[in-house]
Amino acid sequence: MTSQLIQAVEQASSALGLLQATQALASVEDPAAASCLVEVLGFNNPGAAVAAVDGLIRLGPQAVEPILHCLDPRNYGARAWAVRALAGIGDVRGLEVLEEALATDVGPSVRRAAACGLGQLRLEALMIEERQAVRLRCLEALEAGCRDGEWVVRYGVVFGLEALALLVEPMGDPYQRAQRALASLSQAPAEDTPVVRLRAALALRRLEA
Amino acid sequence: MVAAGDIPGAPISEEEALARLRQTQDQSLQYYAAWWLGRMRSRHPEAVPLLLAALGQRQPRDPGAGVEHNAVARNAARALGKLGEDAAIPQLLAALEDNDDGLREAAARALGELRAVAAVPPLCRRLASGPGGAGAPRSDSPRLQEPCEAMLEALGEIGVHQPEVTAVIEPFTLHDRPLIRSAACRALLQLSGEGRWAEPLLQLLQDPQLQVRRAALMDLGAVGWRPALAPICATLAENSLKLIALRGLVENGERHAASVDVESVLAAMDALL
Repeated sequence: MTSQLIQAVEQASSALGLLQATQALASVEDPAAASCLVEVLGFNNPGAAVAAVDGLIRLGPQAVEPILHCLDPRNYGARAWAVRALAGIGDVRGLEVLEEALATDVGPSVRRAAACGLGQLRLEALMIEERQAVRLRCLEALEAGCRDGEWVVRYGVVFGLEALALLVEPMGDPYQRAQRALASLSQAPAEDTPVVRLRAALALRRLEA
Repeated sequence: MVAAGDIPGAPISEEEALARLRQTQDQSLQYYAAWWLGRMRSRHPEAVPLLLAALGQRQPRDPGAGVEHNAVARNAARALGKLGEDAAIPQLLAALEDNDDGLREAAARALGELRAVAAVPPLCRRLASGPGGAGAPRSDSPRLQEPCEAMLEALGEIGVHQPEVTAVIEPFTLHDRPLIRSAACRALLQLSGEGRWAEPLLQLLQDPQLQVRRAALMDLGAVGWRPALAPICATLAENSLKLIALRGLVENGERHAASVDVESVLAAMDALL
């Protein structure tokens, strides 16, 4: 059944046809669909790419290897969608890609997605020391992201910092660093965009509650 | 499109931007410098005088180089709108009378950003002939006789809510082009706060054309119309644009706060990241 759906994606002859075939393939949640969904990310069809990202996120960790395997530095569009998928999956194998994306990607929407993803990597399977080391790298990337020039990326950083603070030991050093970063994003003139300040203040209130 | 020294778009310093705007040999350098000063919200005392000098520059269109008519003056007008200095208003009012409609458009937007009450009479005068006059298509281009969208939006931003002003804007809510209707409804909604002007904008969020849905998103955000929260989230458009619109609901929407609180809008933004 999955192979027929893959064939339908490969043979789609219109933008709408590709979108519908991708939606159908994404909905079966079969790991065998992952490579084909990754391919769709490079087709320059935003609707189909959104459906493919949704499908990859639903596949979760099983989709990570196919995504990392196909990351193509020459196809910017595909790479941007792949970052979104990795951010949504939250697997630690995506860490380096997310760090690099937040620090250097030219697209604010990609940096925004990377910031969210860095705040909510799922690390339950790791040993505690490793878990702490990964959280620290995420925290450092998000601290640097506080200085991003685009408000929407800093908004994503606030979201990421709040999520990260809820996953680390309360009152430990990483927790306090996240709190400090949020505090600076909650105040003018350090932060000039009102909606970012409001979101950071909300995050601080929730952490204190 | 625009040369900016050795590396196009490379970061430059404020000093460098001022120097590039001061020289007049290479207009592409001036063009980029004017944009830069506006984008960076330069507070340097020389920024406004240099931009005002640039606003007086005229140059022919150079299609080969991709340079628009009066490119430096247009970018200077845009930057002056962002710098928030009322000292720029008299010269922007003069630019509103220029023969170049692209320059009039940039001036109208800048005067709107500066909330220049003095611009209301000339804007109304230029729009008074309505959709069949100011809003009629030109014979030589797809543009209209006047840059109606920018002028209507400016009237809404400036915020003089008087019957003479709304009487000029209202006929444009029936214009043939959806983007003009959107701009007119936006202005009337900003001025009056009356929900009847939001209805057409909510309908435009369902338009089959993406470009129209995008414009309605931006217009609802500019007004801060909080009751549009759910329709904005549901419309088919990029999350990036929805986030900009929702930022508008948070920052511009205090007077519509009774219907939807800030935390609900922030939760919707989180879901779009």
